[in-house]
Amino acid sequence: MVTRLALIRELAAIVPEDILVVSSIGNNSAFWGQLAEREANLFHATLGMCTPAAFGLAMALPNRKVLALDADGNLILNLGVLGTIANENPSNLTILVMDNRNYLGSHKKEPGMPTATGGKMKLHEVAKGCGIESAWVVHDVPTFREKIQTSFSKAGPHFISAQIEPLDLERPGREKRVPDPRENKYQFAKYIERTAGVEILGGGLGNFG
Amino acid sequence: MKPEKAQLVVQGLKEAGVDFTAGVPDAQFIEVYKMLAEDRDIRYVGTANEAEAVGIGFGAWFGGKKPALILATSGLLVATYHLARVNIMHEVPLLVVVPYRGDIGDPRWLGLYKKTTEPGLDAMDIPYRVVSRSADIVRTIKECNESARAWLKCIAVVLNEEALW
Repeated sequence: MVTRLALIRELAAIVPEDILVVSSIGNNSAFWGQLAEREANLFHATLGMCTPAAFGLAMALPNRKVLALDADGNLILNLGVLGTIANENPSNLTILVMDNRNYLGSHKKEPGMPTATGGKMKLHEVAKGCGIESAWVVHDVPTFREKIQTSFSKAGPHFISAQIEPLDLERPGREKRVPDPRENKYQFAKYIERTAGVEILGGGLGNFG
Repeated sequence: MKPEKAQLVVQGLKEAGVDFTAGVPDAQFIEVYKMLAEDRDIRYVGTANEAEAVGIGFGAWFGGKKPALILATSGLLVATYHLARVNIMHEVPLLVVVPYRGDIGDPRWLGLYKKTTEPGLDAMDIPYRVVSRSADIVRTIKECNESARAWLKCIAVVLNEEALW
């Protein structure tokens, strides 16, 4: 079975510079921050908030591709968002779920308690049942690469469930600072303002500026 | 809720510059949700729960939208973890508009919300105004949104029985 590190390393190698990546808290943000130092990253989307945040971003910027780098436990907390997304049908959104089928396994030497996907739940089938037609499960790097690249080139929404090792025994080095939520907010918002031509932060002085 | 009161809420959102809303329809604010869903200037996304709405509003703000969450009094409790996170850790401004069930004067047995709404907002460090007169709805929504965007903080407008019914 493939590791989270192998897939995130592959994603970092193939993701275009202007694709907006929203990553969930924990090892998705930690690994992505080490392997993909880029301005178009919004880190630390907490439990249940990664895919909704990516969806809101995709709706606000319909001409930009947005990728949610989500996880099974994180997504399951707000699973209803898949139905919302299917109905709103944002063509520029890809949801990538790193499914390790357990809670807290990412920081431990043995897997944590199972998520629902550690039992009978198949997230790609849930996504299809919600109405997201382009929903896939992948188990290896070549298939992962193909589905990701297809999602970047064809209209979505797309859903990719990546079946990864239950533990992150293979990890990147901690060589870079992953920005904290407030630091990242300013970096990301300024990047969006510069590249999408929208105002987010304002002048900083309210009506007095 | 009378349609003219709902219209004041929508007018306040428009005059505040809000162009994106999310929430879960509830009985007390149903006229507001219906008007937003049909409005051409304000995008409305109906969500499965209020925490999802917080995430969507958070993302929309980064895309240049001026978002507001339209949350039932009970829904504010559902949204609490995500709102606290967005307000305290990310400091991203979301206007939160809540019909205040359970305030003093509400004849229904909903006193639970008197114990949770204002203390909950305080605990999340979300400044708020309670509106008791319909004549104050538009102005208060505008002022709260202006401060939210200037301060980069979530701010709530809580509209009670006297203002809405």
